[in-house]
Amino acid sequence: MEGVSLRDAVAWTSAVAERSDTDAPAGVEERETVGRPVANPHFDAALRLTAIALLLRPMGPWFVRPVILAAAVVVLIFPAALRKWQVWGALALLTAIRIANDWPLADNHIYLLGYWLLAVSLALRSQDASSTLADASRALIGLAFAFAVVWKVALSPDFIDGRFFRVTLVTDPRFAAAARMIGGLSSDDLRAAREAVALLPHGAELLDPPAMVEPARLRLFAMASTWGVLLLETLVAGLMLSRTRLPGVLRHLVLLSFCAVTYAFAPVAGFGWLLLVMGLAQVEARQVWLARLYQLTFLVVLFYDEVPWAQLMLDVVQR
Amino acid sequence: MERAVLTLPLMARYLPAALLAAVAVVQIALATTLQLSAWKGGGFGMFSTLDHGGFRGVDVVVDAPDRSEHVEIAASLQVDAARAVALPVDWLLRNLAAGIAAREQRNDRPVSRVTLSVWRADFDRATLRGSERPIRTFIYDVPRESAPR
Repeated sequence: MEGVSLRDAVAWTSAVAERSDTDAPAGVEERETVGRPVANPHFDAALRLTAIALLLRPMGPWFVRPVILAAAVVVLIFPAALRKWQVWGALALLTAIRIANDWPLADNHIYLLGYWLLAVSLALRSQDASSTLADASRALIGLAFAFAVVWKVALSPDFIDGRFFRVTLVTDPRFAAAARMIGGLSSDDLRAAREAVALLPHGAELLDPPAMVEPARLRLFAMASTWGVLLLETLVAGLMLSRTRLPGVLRHLVLLSFCAVTYAFAPVAGFGWLLLVMGLAQVEARQVWLARLYQLTFLVVLFYDEVPWAQLMLDVVQR
Repeated sequence: MERAVLTLPLMARYLPAALLAAVAVVQIALATTLQLSAWKGGGFGMFSTLDHGGFRGVDVVVDAPDRSEHVEIAASLQVDAARAVALPVDWLLRNLAAGIAAREQRNDRPVSRVTLSVWRADFDRATLRGSERPIRTFIYDVPRESAPR
């Protein structure tokens, strides 16, 4: 070290660190015992699927949307761009602008997308990108689900008692086919139920209000949805946030089950894709079958979104 | 130096989650104090309550000498209306009311006051009958310099 100042030593160390951040393939984990890098191919797959999700759901005003789409195309085409923290950082910033532009109207998964893009950018700057992103993903999903559970259990007055699903199943046209097929409503029943829950001005009352048409099957469907969603969300939050001795694969299976069931009905495929991508980022390199399961579920959610499956099944049943 | 080395990986792992938690706590505070919709604001309250955009609304009454009428919100003001309905606070309501007043004036209709009544739906626990419950009334007096003479 003769002739080398402390400042030089620090500069040299920083240069090496910087080079390893940019030159070494991201998603590569250094195993000290083996002494050579071991690639985690699922890391890149998660990033690519994130870019695809951005392309599938263009978002934001005119000054944000084309830049996001262009960046997503660039990371898909150029492998080097896929691992540039600056690109993902820019995407996180653009998402923040999109949220601020019409605040508070952005949906919750846009916020989660912003945090995720930030997590990717920070992970790509770290020395162990794959494990950093896996930890960030786990914390993000766990907290998002924990807050969702808090809202349902403690803050909303109409979820636990079943009103949310009882009313939503008959008033939201996106759930109409499911309400008819699973809940056993005829189209006349559905029309009558909508009239029964129609809003009246404050203080007004009808002399002869229409009765609510609610078959036992529909009531059961609403209650099963209420408690099923709550149970799955609680399980996801608990398994993501806690460091239990339970096998890690259980956490993945619960998240996959949530996505496979929920997004068959919930009209927010973008949220489903994001959760699946974040789950994929937690998959270890050796868990190839689990990674395939995430990728398959990503496609399943795509089909849920594009195919009116409940209406088609209803048509078949009614023939 | 050692401390910085230890902190940076932690930041990379948990800064996004810390942001999520901070935004969600603020959202809960806004929802409980200022009637922010549970579905909006990044608190993950979606699909937890019927208090969402489909079951919230705003009624608009425009007043002027010899005039007092209910008006529909124009398509060009729908985003402003949605923001004010999701979070009925003064600055968003004033923004909407000023937009309505300006539109009335552009169409040569007199306007001296705009009254906004924001409501949300309540559904009876047993019968599920729905009714509108007012949550905020806002009165905007059109500034004299822009009011019609």
